Amino acid sequence: MSKLQQAIDNLHEADREAGKRSGKSRIHPVSRLLVCVAYIGIVVSFPKYDVTGLLGMSLFIIITGILEDLSFIKGFQRMKYILAFVVLLGAVNPFLDKRIVMQTGGVTVTGGMLSMMTLFIKGVLTVYAAYFMFMCTGIEQLCRALRCLKVPKGAVTVVLLIYRYIIVLLKEIQRMSLAYRLRAPGQKGIHIKVWGSFAGLLLLRSMERAQNVYDSMLLRGYDGEFQYEILGQEKTGKGLGAVYAAGWIGIFLLLRCVPVFQMAGNIFLSIGQ
Amino acid sequence: MHMADALLAPAVAGTMYLCSGAATGYSIKKVRALNEPEKIPVMGVMGAFVFAAQMINFTIPGTGSSGHLCGGMLLSAILGPEAGFLTMIGVLLIQCLLFADGGILALGANVWNMAFYGCFLGGMVIWSRMMKKGMSKRKIMAASVIGCILTLQLGALSVSLETLASGVTELPFGIFVGVMQPIHLAIGLVEGLITAAVLIFIYEARPKMLWRYEPSGQTEGKFSQRKTVGILAVTALVIGGLFSLAASALPDGLEWSMEKVSGSTELTAAGEAYETAAKIQETTALLPDYGFKTGESAAGTSFSGIIGAVVVIGLCVLCCYGLKLFKRKKQKEEAV
Amino acid sequence: MVELDHLTFSYDGNREVLSDISFDLKAGETIGLIGANGAGKSTLLKILAGLLTDYKGQAKIDGLDVNKKNLAAVRKKTGYVFQDSESQLFLSTVYEDVAFGPRNYGCVGKELEEKVMSALKQVHIEELKDRPIYRMSGGQKKLAAIATILSMEPEVILFDEPSVGLDPKNRRNLINIINGISGLKIIASHDLDMIFDTCNRTILIEKGKLICEGETEKILTDQRLLEKSGLELPLSMQKRDV
Repeated sequence: MSKLQQAIDNLHEADREAGKRSGKSRIHPVSRLLVCVAYIGIVVSFPKYDVTGLLGMSLFIIITGILEDLSFIKGFQRMKYILAFVVLLGAVNPFLDKRIVMQTGGVTVTGGMLSMMTLFIKGVLTVYAAYFMFMCTGIEQLCRALRCLKVPKGAVTVVLLIYRYIIVLLKEIQRMSLAYRLRAPGQKGIHIKVWGSFAGLLLLRSMERAQNVYDSMLLRGYDGEFQYEILGQEKTGKGLGAVYAAGWIGIFLLLRCVPVFQMAGNIFLSIGQ
Repeated sequence: MHMADALLAPAVAGTMYLCSGAATGYSIKKVRALNEPEKIPVMGVMGAFVFAAQMINFTIPGTGSSGHLCGGMLLSAILGPEAGFLTMIGVLLIQCLLFADGGILALGANVWNMAFYGCFLGGMVIWSRMMKKGMSKRKIMAASVIGCILTLQLGALSVSLETLASGVTELPFGIFVGVMQPIHLAIGLVEGLITAAVLIFIYEARPKMLWRYEPSGQTEGKFSQRKTVGILAVTALVIGGLFSLAASALPDGLEWSMEKVSGSTELTAAGEAYETAAKIQETTALLPDYGFKTGESAAGTSFSGIIGAVVVIGLCVLCCYGLKLFKRKKQKEEAV
Repeated sequence: MVELDHLTFSYDGNREVLSDISFDLKAGETIGLIGANGAGKSTLLKILAGLLTDYKGQAKIDGLDVNKKNLAAVRKKTGYVFQDSESQLFLSTVYEDVAFGPRNYGCVGKELEEKVMSALKQVHIEELKDRPIYRMSGGQKKLAAIATILSMEPEVILFDEPSVGLDPKNRRNLINIINGISGLKIIASHDLDMIFDTCNRTILIEKGKLICEGETEKILTDQRLLEKSGLELPLSMQKRDV
């Protein structure tokens, strides 16, 4: 049940980070979301041999991580599931694309090697971008951003409710699994005979809970239209958010269009000579 | 099955967002028209259930491994396809934020590959058709298994196509599909069985909870039921088996047929496909490429470029830490 | 304030969960509703809250019949504190959850804030207002759940097993808070000591039938009556006997 424990840990971590920042972050969540999407979009748009350009894009991740006090290690730990497939796919490229694209000082670099590298870097950077964005905003602020972007209230409410009840159900599964394991030592998972009843009972209880939640809403005047605001932060000035978004997106575009590092490298090398 | 952002080109990701967006718009309209205010809390709690239930390890007998539940199929069997689809989007969004399972840019593609096929094909077509004339344990079993296999086969095929169109891998299409389809045939079967086990349990305990359940419709002709199951099973096997077998067991056959049709072998055919994909990407990419200019640098990667990157990143890290130290000092002074 | 007249209810049309229950409760009273597991306490509360309307007989709140037509008005007058606080608190922070009810009744701005803060003050958790629900303890969740009801200023508050899962200190705190709330309160519970400390009148039901109704002190000290209905003397009484 390591994945279960990890899920609970991830939730707690997200809460902690959001708690640390609640009321302190002065950047509007919409700006953070836009910057994140723009970043990911620009990162994946890099051509498959452009390792240098992608390295430049890592600046955003590094700066955000350090300044926001976020853990690079925890971010990396999250990648193991999703990156397995990326690594698998990327690892075959050197064997299939043997075109020589670069020769420096006796080292031959093939296209496949470069495209493998870019794929890995893209994988790592995009996961970090989403992880950092979520850690900086938290689910409520993110949902607030979605509302600002005109996502229907019902849909946002469903997301909030899912998030709200995940931890409740995860802990329930944890208790059920523990009770199961204590009576079935040596079994790794749930035996086929109880597949249906194990998850089914949890499902029935979840439905009962849904009924209670609905009753509780009804008793407080719910009539199909959700009347609530996602907690607003007075401090998040739209102005600062706009500057943040415009600044970063401008930098991303610059890094995408102009070989900044190439130029910098040339300058350093010429100084060296 | 979750795709990472890195596997997708922006144009492909955008296209998939458009496709999923259309399905979302349709679903929102449908759910609104139904006007069932009690659906919202049920969607929320069921979404959390699907998320949490995917953490349960169901042991597959005779193997050391374990399987999971198929969310799309389960949700549509309880909430109906449209509400199920919307709930799945919420689940996928939270999975990508909390677990890095999938990505923000890849969300459109993931919604399509998993939620769309699961809810609209698995739920709207298969479940709804099969339960039209009454429910039974056997029918639930058949619908779940067939639905899950079809869902996963189409999902896996979409993953292959999307990756191919994005041009990130050098793998020939045939091999890629040949690996993906059989693996997902097995996963689909297991997911189908688990989903069926849960749904059958619900059917016995609280049948009213299931979508399309009608208490009176229990006595229907056995023949028609068998026929439906038969037709659907054959379809599932044909679709699942076709991709798997044609691509994996008969790679020569595929090559041979390609040669016959186009006059070239598979590899060049695949190469062409990549070139077209690359061209599409280039023309649709946000910005033009650079690189390919000096003799020493190729496609944007060069020795001097890497030196530049290392130096600039190093400087940047130093500046950040400096700034942070300065900030802390200032905070301390303020606190004093 | 609350009138029941020959109230009978069944979920499936066969087995009667409540049969022929009549009583009359006045504003300002605190009523203990006691009975063994499955006696029908929760069902009775749900009928009073207007969640179950297919009953026979009559149920009135403040002169209004509890039926589908009057549902909105009845629900505005009653508040229901669920046994499981987790189901009651569905929004992300305490403030939002407490504000949910008043907002649904069109309350906004300063007035809303005042209502929310006064509700939080009554249960002494003002400092938790921005806390996400999932970072609260069981006792805090219970108080927050009560605040969500208080903010709507109902005339009748129904409590379903309010002291379940609370440690002695939190339980004592809860008793003090309940005693501080004005209006008609109906508390369904097995925790007879708490009933003893909060309620002036008690109703005992067994298998859906009203067994007796009267002063709390009288009923909770009647060992034979309690044991016949599957209950025991409150612990504090038992100790006195020893």
